[in-house]
Amino acid sequence: MTKELTLTIAIFYCQNVPESGEDVRQSLEKRYGKSIRLFPMPCSGRIDIVHLLRALEEFADAVYVITCPEGTCRYLEGNKRIKKRIERAKSIIDSIGLEKERLNLITPAAGDDNFSLASFSGEIIESAMAFAASPVRVIKAQGPRREAQDAGKEKRLNNKIIGDKK
Amino acid sequence: MITAEQKPMDEIREMIAPYKRILTVGCASCVAECAAGGEKETGALASALRMACRMAGDEKVIHEKTLDRQCVKDFVIQLDDVIQDYNAILSLGCGAGVQAVAEMYKEVPVIPALNTEFLGETRDQGLWVENCIGCGDCMLYFFGGVCPLARCSKQLLNGPCGGSRDGRCEVDPDVPCAWQNIIDRLSAFNALDRLEMIYPPKDWSKKRGNGPRKIIREDQKR
Repeated sequence: MTKELTLTIAIFYCQNVPESGEDVRQSLEKRYGKSIRLFPMPCSGRIDIVHLLRALEEFADAVYVITCPEGTCRYLEGNKRIKKRIERAKSIIDSIGLEKERLNLITPAAGDDNFSLASFSGEIIESAMAFAASPVRVIKAQGPRREAQDAGKEKRLNNKIIGDKK
Repeated sequence: MITAEQKPMDEIREMIAPYKRILTVGCASCVAECAAGGEKETGALASALRMACRMAGDEKVIHEKTLDRQCVKDFVIQLDDVIQDYNAILSLGCGAGVQAVAEMYKEVPVIPALNTEFLGETRDQGLWVENCIGCGDCMLYFFGGVCPLARCSKQLLNGPCGGSRDGRCEVDPDVPCAWQNIIDRLSAFNALDRLEMIYPPKDWSKKRGNGPRKIIREDQKR
């Protein structure tokens, strides 16, 4: 079952990251298809723990947050806040038995001009492929199939009962 | 403000284990201010629980809703329309909120997701400190706005113990000496003479001496 699933990576990124415009987002989504879901944010400080958890719950095998470089947050401390929120979110998923490594933060060093959304996304996709599919997603994917199997069993049982009555 | 912290995840999961359909109910008042039970925390807890249940193969339905105030029945009645769909409520309200909801829906178990802590002040972002014990007989006037009952480790009413060092408490050096604060504050507005009074032992009958307390205001009643 696991092998049939395509890994999906959620990337929340600060719009202050260089070369992160709408055209870049569209081209990345075209290149990586369903493996990537990109969420531009006005500031990484806007991302809350609930957003990270919802992504893991609903569709993502791993979540990455890309902030602007240290010391360049246009809202002064957004990229510092998300660092603490990621830690808190990691402790929450750890407490339910999900690997902490499925949540990651990328903050470029100050003065590093050689980064862009496209370059980070490529690196993320490569490193994230090392993950197994998230157990949350695997079981969710099995859900409808299991329900269908159960419904089939019930139908066969009903037919048997009807047959026995006949 | 009433402060609270979320219970450990294992404890919450153990308490919700017998129930299949659970409504997680947050409160947008005090516990939202202390980032324990507001809308965001309620969403995060519900999401984490759904993931945990899914991984464990436990097919629970867990939904969420946040009330403006869980300790006021006029707000709690918003649950009237949905309560029949659930067989338990997981409350992220303070102890008063949990009990208000339980009082309204007698047939539905109400499970606390938080440990209610104390009456406190938001001292800084992410820092809440206890500074009122709700004694029922406020003496802050005499002590320059610093309560020795809440903030002195030894709850002394008639001067410092003599054990503080550099303005820090000898019981816990992380805690500022309340009496140092009292003297500094009273000195700042020339009111040190208030400390010349001898304060008798506290009359605790106004706190819990007569059982659970209540306030009745005829002018506020229906």
